[in-house]
Amino acid sequence: MSYRPGVCTFCGTGCGHYLKVDGTSVQGVFPSRVHPVSKGRLCVRGWNIHELLGTQERIIKPYIKDSGQANYQDAIAKLVSALSSYKPEEIAFYASPRSSNEDNFALMKLARLVFKTNNISLQAESGHRNSLDVLYNGTGFAGMLGSLEDIRKAEVLIVAGMDITTQNPIIGSELHYASRSGSLLITIDSRMTKIAKLSKKFINIKPGTMRIVFDAIGHYIDKQQWGDTKSAHYEEYKKYLATVPFDSIEKETGVLPAEIAFVAERLVKAKSAAVFFTSGISGLSYDTVASIYNLFVLAGKIGKEGCGVNPIVGINNLQGSFDMGCAPDLLTGFQSIDDATAKKNFEKKWGHELPQFKGKTVEQLLADSSSPLKALVIVDHDDGIVKYADRLQSLPFVAYIGAFTNKVADVAHVVLPITTYIETDGTFTNAERRVQLSLKKCDNTFDVLPMWKLCDTIAQAAGKAFNYQGASEVMDEIASLTPSYESISYKLLSKKHGVQWPCTKKNHDGTKYCVPEKVSFVLPQKPYAAVQATQEYPYLLMLGKSQHYWHQNNIMHKTFIPLREYNATLLLYPDGYMAIAPEDAKKIGVRDRWPVKVVAEKASMKAMVMISDDVAPGTAYVPYFIREGIASFLLAYSDIVSQGEEATIPVRIEKV
Amino acid sequence: MYLIKKNDVKKIAKALEEKYTLYGPYVDEAFGQCFFDKVSADNVDLNAPIPTNPPKHVVFPHLETIMQYKYDKNAKKVDIAMVFDDTPKVLFGLRSCDLTGLQCIDRFFLGQEFVDEVYRHHRSRMFIVANTCVVPFKQCFCVCTDSGPAAQEGYDVNLTNLGDSYLIEVGSEKGKAFIESFGFAKATEEQLKQKQKLIEKSITMFEDIATESKAWASRVMNRVTTGFIKEEVWEYIGNQCIECGACSYVCPSCTCFNINDANTIAGNTERVRTWDSCSYEGYSRMAGGHNPRKPIEDRRNKRFLCKLSYSQSKKYLRPGCVGCGRCAWVCPGEIGLPNVVTYIRREIHE
Amino acid sequence: MSEQKIVTVPEIATIEEIKDEIVDVKTFYLRFDNKEIDGNFKFKSGQFIMCTIFGAGEFAVSLPPSPENDRFHITVRRIGKVTNALHDLQVGDKVGIRGPFGNGFPFEEIKGKNVIYVAGGIGLIPLRSSIVHVLQHRNEFGRILLLYGSRSPQDLMYQYMLDEWQKIEGFETFITVDNGTPEWKGNVGIITTLFDKVEIPVENTVAFVCGPPVMFNAVIKELMQRGIKDDMIISTLERHMKCGVGKCQHCAIGRTLVCTDGPVYTYRQIKTLGEQI
Repeated sequence: MSYRPGVCTFCGTGCGHYLKVDGTSVQGVFPSRVHPVSKGRLCVRGWNIHELLGTQERIIKPYIKDSGQANYQDAIAKLVSALSSYKPEEIAFYASPRSSNEDNFALMKLARLVFKTNNISLQAESGHRNSLDVLYNGTGFAGMLGSLEDIRKAEVLIVAGMDITTQNPIIGSELHYASRSGSLLITIDSRMTKIAKLSKKFINIKPGTMRIVFDAIGHYIDKQQWGDTKSAHYEEYKKYLATVPFDSIEKETGVLPAEIAFVAERLVKAKSAAVFFTSGISGLSYDTVASIYNLFVLAGKIGKEGCGVNPIVGINNLQGSFDMGCAPDLLTGFQSIDDATAKKNFEKKWGHELPQFKGKTVEQLLADSSSPLKALVIVDHDDGIVKYADRLQSLPFVAYIGAFTNKVADVAHVVLPITTYIETDGTFTNAERRVQLSLKKCDNTFDVLPMWKLCDTIAQAAGKAFNYQGASEVMDEIASLTPSYESISYKLLSKKHGVQWPCTKKNHDGTKYCVPEKVSFVLPQKPYAAVQATQEYPYLLMLGKSQHYWHQNNIMHKTFIPLREYNATLLLYPDGYMAIAPEDAKKIGVRDRWPVKVVAEKASMKAMVMISDDVAPGTAYVPYFIREGIASFLLAYSDIVSQGEEATIPVRIEKV
Repeated sequence: MYLIKKNDVKKIAKALEEKYTLYGPYVDEAFGQCFFDKVSADNVDLNAPIPTNPPKHVVFPHLETIMQYKYDKNAKKVDIAMVFDDTPKVLFGLRSCDLTGLQCIDRFFLGQEFVDEVYRHHRSRMFIVANTCVVPFKQCFCVCTDSGPAAQEGYDVNLTNLGDSYLIEVGSEKGKAFIESFGFAKATEEQLKQKQKLIEKSITMFEDIATESKAWASRVMNRVTTGFIKEEVWEYIGNQCIECGACSYVCPSCTCFNINDANTIAGNTERVRTWDSCSYEGYSRMAGGHNPRKPIEDRRNKRFLCKLSYSQSKKYLRPGCVGCGRCAWVCPGEIGLPNVVTYIRREIHE
Repeated sequence: MSEQKIVTVPEIATIEEIKDEIVDVKTFYLRFDNKEIDGNFKFKSGQFIMCTIFGAGEFAVSLPPSPENDRFHITVRRIGKVTNALHDLQVGDKVGIRGPFGNGFPFEEIKGKNVIYVAGGIGLIPLRSSIVHVLQHRNEFGRILLLYGSRSPQDLMYQYMLDEWQKIEGFETFITVDNGTPEWKGNVGIITTLFDKVEIPVENTVAFVCGPPVMFNAVIKELMQRGIKDDMIISTLERHMKCGVGKCQHCAIGRTLVCTDGPVYTYRQIKTLGEQI
């Protein structure tokens, strides 16, 4: 009877699985048939998760750079004395979106209560935060509005620019299932992805025009007077829609007016509809998410069963990490740090005042060479800050906390090992706000501490012990401070496949889909700035990030089969590649794997050609490899790169 | 042949548990999912539905160390040792599809030009107690693949639930000697007939897809063997595949594996063997990147050729599919083997 | 122990000498540590071994030495994780060897025939064994030809052997490079351009072809056009392999396994396998 139920912690889908645990080793995995989301399915990562959990590439001993291997006591003393010597503004915490809610809460508490800093952020770019901001501003609900379980109930399903069968395969599978059983599946993307092939309707748009396309659909609905005009800020939204270049839509976006009308009509007439867009390590810009959201408000697809504006996170606990307040301006449950009531609750519970100064994200602090950053604590890092390697190396103090060996640990002055997620209790919140309990399945053979315990021990060394007896007590504290987690406890979650927050005293079973008290349109912040190709720079370069996110992933390198599968393109193109259409390759005069020079206005780089039918002629696609050449190219365009998936740069491609 | 009281089954399990590590079906207490795994005689549940996992992992684990070595680069000295597991094991309450799957793996690993030593050790001291399926489950189609509902061979002891008692049949000298030691009452011809009747009744209870007749699969096998299947059919199937590998992992007769060397903290290296699937892109990709089987439909039809083609059956001396239906349970698309057969049949009839 | 295959536990061998061939390709001369096997390791031309690089993994590699009177060695391109680790080894380091596996080139069956070898790039490595072996039995064959092409003069494999072979009377060698250099005095052009410059025997002739897929397909076309039958065209295939003994199934093509049924196939067989080369 060695199969123990648990949660897969690769991506934000949060599939249910059983791990085959024998003593201290994990020897296999099997899907859970009754799990409401995964229903007996797992993807290639999930089916091989035991390879990661059984890896020997672990950090097993605390380490101090000056003196080598150490015990916890000395390493923690070193950490506390180092951090105590800096001002709060000079300290920052870099939390991992892979850590459990308890671990992240304990880290957040450590940062704010013990080291008095608001400089805490997640190892994820702005993507999901944009989605949460839009949804929060529109509905007061900072999470997926619909539910993955309800996918089969939606009559119309829209996938907006997301290679969902690669990123979140089981959600892709669920969409495909719904499509086979009669739902209308529409994919709007610049590339022919697998989900595009499986869709009943594929709308191929020019790169960077997602926002215009969604606004055009809204414009059409409004013009036909099909829309909901009662929601707040309708008049402003209507005024904004007038700026959509509707008459030249084909030229601007490559989409035919008939296609716009088709989507508009089907969307309005359907009883239920849901939209899915990427929101992981990098997502859509605030304005694009707003466009998507506004369209669904206009079409009356908010707050009903089977409906939803659904950002899909790529990392297992990205949603939960935001819920735990791992952001400079947030407390738990998306409560603003400026919210006086919330702040008072925290101060009362913790017995200390919260830091007053306005915090910054670690990315902001690293990117700004004049920032006061002196000391950084990094947790279970996923290779994302390699581009700031120089800054990182010049910091007076870096601490690394993690379970697996990692290159970032090499620059750390203090390294503190922690357990993996199966060696302690913890909860994880998936993309659909489902808080799931993962109980401890085996003992750790190296005598390392779970992170929540480690944070407590550090706090104790600093004289402010948290006194947690177990992870469940951390959850109790979270629940007492977080309205949306109000009635969540380990007791409630046990023998259950999680509950979806808001889970309050009135509503123990959680909330499947959001029914907001008030719905408002969310006004975009910037006017359109669609990038056009020019004579001089005739190709539109797209920057794909999430599709290849796994390639650079530190934990993927500890496995055999997922590494082999996700590393495929990296093996073929070790220095990265630029995908172009076959006819463009002919025009430029290059063949597969030939080197080319990519010239843009501000920078240029070398790349290897990959010929692919998946990219439309006139466009080029570069995956987000954190490699020297590409990194410097991207840094010159960091303002554009920050737009996430829609970032486009006009370039010229030269044969070398 | 013996007839025992229902409670005596536990007695048999308990006696076996003393000499062997007991593997059998049990129901997970948290969510009620049925597994086939290491279990105490008290928790074995012969009435549990078909286990969601096949017993393959007992003899061919999902992940296992098959060799250990240590290379001292300075002294230029190598120590190599194979890691074998030959602990005595009993597979208790094996259903006929899974038993047939085990036989397929036996013939594949032991019966060809080379013998797989790791597998041979796993299999060397094993006792098998089969369990006749008097009621089929929703996705079963073993009647189409000639592997059920009752086991014909390959067991030491076979149990059939006759309602208030169990019929015991022995299938080997080992099984005979073991059962004789209990001194159970002998069964009569009447009870054997009763078993036959139960099986006949069981066959009528299969879902439509299975009851159409055995030609269900053989007609398709013929088609697959001769290769007259339109590219579009494979493309339709391939498009639905998201390359999760589940179908191979849950198949009682799939044997593909991957081998990797992993360095340990102790400073030696373990050669690790893990399950693999022909649907993965990296499965046939060579170092340097050339992949002769790049398109997904090429890879996808590979598995169905392996399960359905006559030319592949030389490996198993029977069709590779044993009709358990698990691949249909776990498939994120709709291309479990029964569905694929349906698609091909649809093409035949068109 | 003498003619037995090493199937399960690798036998230890020592790297005696390393020779740089072309960029990223090295030859490793090996000697078995076990005295009973050293000198008694019998194999056929065209067979392969599984080579373990300790701490990195195992890979399949063809055997370039002749089965008779030749120094035991392997020639390997640095291309993946394991071959990278091999290239980092030095003389005196140990490797593990299992094998020999596979069917090997037909030797008895082709006696008395004209033999044409057509190789592209490092495709010469697996053919080397057969070439040396046939030359050792020169009078048992008709005409012997080698048509060899590579990308540039720097990419010609076994340069020292080519020089030697060109001196052997009755061994007709023709070499071409895709891109010449100022120093290069020989043929320039892809390998198929050689076919117009050479009088190719057709009757009673067997052709061995090995090279990258594009070159392979072009050469086959040329040979067939000249009337050489598909069962007289022999090649050796490369596949991803893990076990070498027909169990892991990575090398399956159609109903055959490259490790046990191959790696040597006639073109007639290859055509029916239903997969890309």
